[in-house]
Amino acid sequence: MSEERKEIAKVTEGVQETRRDLLKYVGLAGATALMAGPAGAEAAASAVSATAAINPADADSTITEWLQGHYVLMSDEEKKKCIDRLEKRYSAQYGKKTTVSDAPPLEGVLFGYALDIAKCIGCRSCVHACVKENNQSRHDPEIQWIQVMKIEKGNFSFSADKLDEGYPQPSKFGDHGVQVGGNAYSPVGGLSTHGTQSYYDAETVPEKDFFYMPVQCQQCEKPPCVKVCPVRATFRDPNGIVLIDYNWCIGCRMCQLACPYGARRFNWGKPNLPSEEMNPKTHYFGNRPRMRGVMEKCTFCIQRTRENRNPACLEACPVGARKFGNLLDPESDVRKILATKKVFRLKEEFNTFPKFFYYVG
Amino acid sequence: MTNEDNSRRGFLKKAAAAVGVVAAAGVTAKTLISAPSDSVSSESAKYVNDGHLQQKVMSQKQYVLMTDNEKEQMLNEILSNHYKELA
Repeated sequence: MSEERKEIAKVTEGVQETRRDLLKYVGLAGATALMAGPAGAEAAASAVSATAAINPADADSTITEWLQGHYVLMSDEEKKKCIDRLEKRYSAQYGKKTTVSDAPPLEGVLFGYALDIAKCIGCRSCVHACVKENNQSRHDPEIQWIQVMKIEKGNFSFSADKLDEGYPQPSKFGDHGVQVGGNAYSPVGGLSTHGTQSYYDAETVPEKDFFYMPVQCQQCEKPPCVKVCPVRATFRDPNGIVLIDYNWCIGCRMCQLACPYGARRFNWGKPNLPSEEMNPKTHYFGNRPRMRGVMEKCTFCIQRTRENRNPACLEACPVGARKFGNLLDPESDVRKILATKKVFRLKEEFNTFPKFFYYVG
Repeated sequence: MTNEDNSRRGFLKKAAAAVGVVAAAGVTAKTLISAPSDSVSSESAKYVNDGHLQQKVMSQKQYVLMTDNEKEQMLNEILSNHYKELA
């Protein structure tokens, strides 16, 4: 080894380790920054936008809200604190006395809804009543939980004389026990939603040759949205209503993908709810103002129904196309409709058992 | 003495600096792409897109009338599931 090389080796003897360490650290830091950077930045951005949306004095409430657990699992004391906190914050934010109820489910009740598509005129009164009642975002965008579909009348047909069929009967193929009445192979009648329009803008309704079919959360008895929620923020309550704990929702949108009716709405931005239009009578799982990044949907107006009142969409319907009641009560409107009217089901059965029924009177 | 610019250490220093710069650029780019946008119009567009998706989903459905038997079976299933859930 030359003298020069020996000298370099001597000088850098202690440096070898440091250089390797330095490279290790740089590599590690780079990888960590690449992986964690966007997530951290996003979280920070959300945090900043969320805190900017309310008064600085209320920031503590927001942090507490972030850290709170699932409402259903809270102790009574925690629930009370949570409700007090929300009432205080909403009252300050919207400049009016706001109540947040946590009225429990009713005893011995399973809610069901029925809609007469022969009566519906597509006026969208239900849509607007829903927006108003449930404190939905008013503009940019206006979030609507009910979407009214306009369908051509030709898409609807049925044979009344076959309604009571459905038993194995002989057919031209022989008596093989194959059903020939109302069944998946040969339904007695049906309604195709092919070519439906949800964004119609007619001057007067109903339009000739069309009928209307409002779609909202169907409150499935076996809801797929509940099954896919990774944090159980959405759940079925004892009255059969599918609810969401907005503070526990992580905004992954899995439930939106799972819903066969596309009935869930995601708050892409902070909802625009003007103070003067805010409904101050709210429920924790219902119409209390939502935040950015959470899912929301129809709850059959839980803030009303848990107080033995009808949903707002039903009260707004000018033609009485909507009926609401207790499926456990054989004398209720919904049970009578199920017993006596021509009721539809989805041809492609998803085994979800919706409790929102379409019928013709 | 050796010129540090041409030495191995100099090269490694430059390489480390380059890695740092690339990592920082990557973080910035990814952050800009993934950070939530404050643009109201893009949020509205996303919401409208959700609505269109629902329209698309619903326009492919077919409803059929239920026979009395089917109605009865459906109601029984709903009620039995409800009592199961309550239990």
